[in-house]
Amino acid sequence: MFSTKQTIIAAALALSSATVFAMSGSPDSNKEVVAKKDGLYASNYVEIIKNADGKYLDAKVIEAILGKDATHGRAGLKGKLDPANPYSFEVDDSIDGGNHGNSQCKVPAAFVEVHDSVNKNYYSDADFVANGFGTPIAESALEKWNITVDGDGKGLPDPSVGMTVEEGAKVYVQFCAMCHGEFGEGAKGYLPLAVDQNLVASDFRDPAPMKTVGNYWPYAVTFFDYIRRTMPYWTPNAPFIGDKGYMGITAYIMQSNYIPVGFDEDGEPIELDYDTFYNSELLMKQNRYMKNQGNFFCDHRPVVHNERCMNNCPDSQVGNGKGDVHDYVQARKLPDGTLQYNVPQRLHEDPPGVGHAGM
Amino acid sequence: MTDRIVEKVATQTDESRNQGRRAFLKGGAAVAGGVLFTKAASAAEGKTYNPTKAVAPYAGKEELTDVLQDGAARKSLGFGVRKYPYGMPSPYEKEVQRRTLEWLTPDAMASITMSPLQSLHGIITPNGLHFERFHGGVPTINPEEHRLVIHGLVERPLIFTMDDLKRFPSVSRIHFVECPANGAMEWKGVQLNSVQWTHGMMSCAEYTGVRLSDLLKEAGIKPEGKWILPEGADASGMSRSLPIDIAMDDCFVAYAQNGEALRREQGYPIRLVVPGCEANMWVKYLRRLYVHDVPMQHREETSKYTELMPDGTAQRFSWYMEANSVITYPSPDFKMQGPGKYYIRGLAWSGRGKVAHVDVSVDGGKNWKEAHFTSPVLDKAWTRFELEWEWDGKEAFLMSRVTDETGYVQPPMPQMRKLEGTNNVYHRTAMVTWRVHDWDGGKNGGMIENVQY
Repeated sequence: MFSTKQTIIAAALALSSATVFAMSGSPDSNKEVVAKKDGLYASNYVEIIKNADGKYLDAKVIEAILGKDATHGRAGLKGKLDPANPYSFEVDDSIDGGNHGNSQCKVPAAFVEVHDSVNKNYYSDADFVANGFGTPIAESALEKWNITVDGDGKGLPDPSVGMTVEEGAKVYVQFCAMCHGEFGEGAKGYLPLAVDQNLVASDFRDPAPMKTVGNYWPYAVTFFDYIRRTMPYWTPNAPFIGDKGYMGITAYIMQSNYIPVGFDEDGEPIELDYDTFYNSELLMKQNRYMKNQGNFFCDHRPVVHNERCMNNCPDSQVGNGKGDVHDYVQARKLPDGTLQYNVPQRLHEDPPGVGHAGM
Repeated sequence: MTDRIVEKVATQTDESRNQGRRAFLKGGAAVAGGVLFTKAASAAEGKTYNPTKAVAPYAGKEELTDVLQDGAARKSLGFGVRKYPYGMPSPYEKEVQRRTLEWLTPDAMASITMSPLQSLHGIITPNGLHFERFHGGVPTINPEEHRLVIHGLVERPLIFTMDDLKRFPSVSRIHFVECPANGAMEWKGVQLNSVQWTHGMMSCAEYTGVRLSDLLKEAGIKPEGKWILPEGADASGMSRSLPIDIAMDDCFVAYAQNGEALRREQGYPIRLVVPGCEANMWVKYLRRLYVHDVPMQHREETSKYTELMPDGTAQRFSWYMEANSVITYPSPDFKMQGPGKYYIRGLAWSGRGKVAHVDVSVDGGKNWKEAHFTSPVLDKAWTRFELEWEWDGKEAFLMSRVTDETGYVQPPMPQMRKLEGTNNVYHRTAMVTWRVHDWDGGKNGGMIENVQY
């Protein structure tokens, strides 16, 4: 939805202009810094930020660097996904070696304090002398611990390891269903794994959508990683399940969520059959087709750049956001007038108010 | 000798726990069927224990002259040294406890407790009241058998004993640690009347340990090593990808908290400290730092701890905690004592540096006054503020607003809700509002209520 390419095109339409910036009240306020905008953003952002005592999130500083339009709210988000934006957490696609587009985030360039510190502690630390503490260890000695899989599938078992979806379903029923339900519908307050619910909220009063593997897990390969390292809950990384069993459980959950392994000539999804032998190769294929994968973007906070108002503040900042301080919501009350705490949630009438069952 | 001390501490801990349990049952709360707090409010009178009101009732005696008599404390000997080899708070403070909301989680091993912020003073959270968040229960790890390994894209993979770590230069810093879900229950509207519930998924402590940059440089990171994966030794094997730019900034591996070894609940024997960042990056029971070229995309940074926006997109790799503040007194756990002078007090903090200003409004955000600080102002740490207020006894809407040294100004809730919806779960860092009821000759009982715009 927010691909970097779209963003760059959208941002390229914006006009650039030169802004004179001086921070009132700061020691250097007499020194004016002219924002140099050869592209979309001020290229001398470090100078502007330092001139403002490092206040890189000050509304005026942001405006001087990004221009007036790019500073606010969801509209400002598109600009923030442009890796060239000094406030962007996104990295450029070109440095990503993975198979699913832009998969990294970074500390934004505008966080000059962090970068200065890292420079001092690491990149420019020529004086470091090792203490010689600790004992060298061979990488091979860590095989038992190093069972992590990354988003690109590095660390997955050999394709010969696996089982059919049907066999996987049996392992799932034996070790997982008591908490997550036979069909991944969840049980006893434990997380559902295969409820396909729309995540777009039309009204904030609606119950929070259930986040599951199907609608809210961007990398299939790290589902395998997670269950192998941490499940079953009471005895993680169980030898009696083994890589083979964990692969089978993954197969069953992927199938329950209708994750395709590819598309045929007519563009129809190819789904897993019960007798398909499931292994890391199929898992890697599915890694491209996780449903919500394209909807994750790097942190873009803060989208709020308020001025610090002291008197007669604008209505947007007062009470209900329209200036009314009496238009408030109270906690619900029992018939006798005492406050009640999440009664519908406690009785499981609707999903808990934190957005998902359990944490 | 050691055995006897351990035994005594254990007995004492049991005593304290039983005390809590007895008091709890006395309060008349129905715990059956997971339904907590029903009818508890009706038992709130007098000195009975009310789990929803966590402030110890000091003002017990009506007649002040009673306490002017020399009582037992004056007329008899108190207990001797070493009655408690490891000291505990006065029994009168027994209601100052970490608390949880049972409906939040399916069990106690993957759950959270909140710190009683309304009862804390200053900027340090005592170790026994430090909030807890577990994903797979608390292991009891023998430090002699615990190891930290640095491997992956390094020149020299190294394994450290706890003694090795303590030979390194040490660093002690005061930082807040905040669960990104702090305040999560308030996204859809107001529902909990205590600072403990609205802001208690956080604490602030002095941590001591070894700079992460020293450890990583000791192993020598290869140029392509750009991400660190810290992993825990517990059942949850907690893991998050940490960019090298945060790892080398101000992180450290802590073995102590507030002057003593870390508590088991906070990661004994070692945990990662990632100042200003989400608490789940502060991996506990740390056993491994795996240096890698790309982020791992693990569960706790993709399917969890990512913020769902109203349009169905989600924000990931959200590291820094926003600047935030809350008024702890007066707050819903307290009652106003009549019109007159009050000192509004609270906490402010920012994951991006020092707190610069805290402003307080008593009229729902129309007008603000700058509070002064009553504690040291430290980087990525709690800061205490205070403001004198003359209450005229009329309905008031108390809010605090922090500005941090980066110039970020804390937003009001309607603005945040408009931008981020209500299904976000994490990073609900907008202002909260305490409604002080009209005094009306005392008819309203001095009630202070959590309301939301």
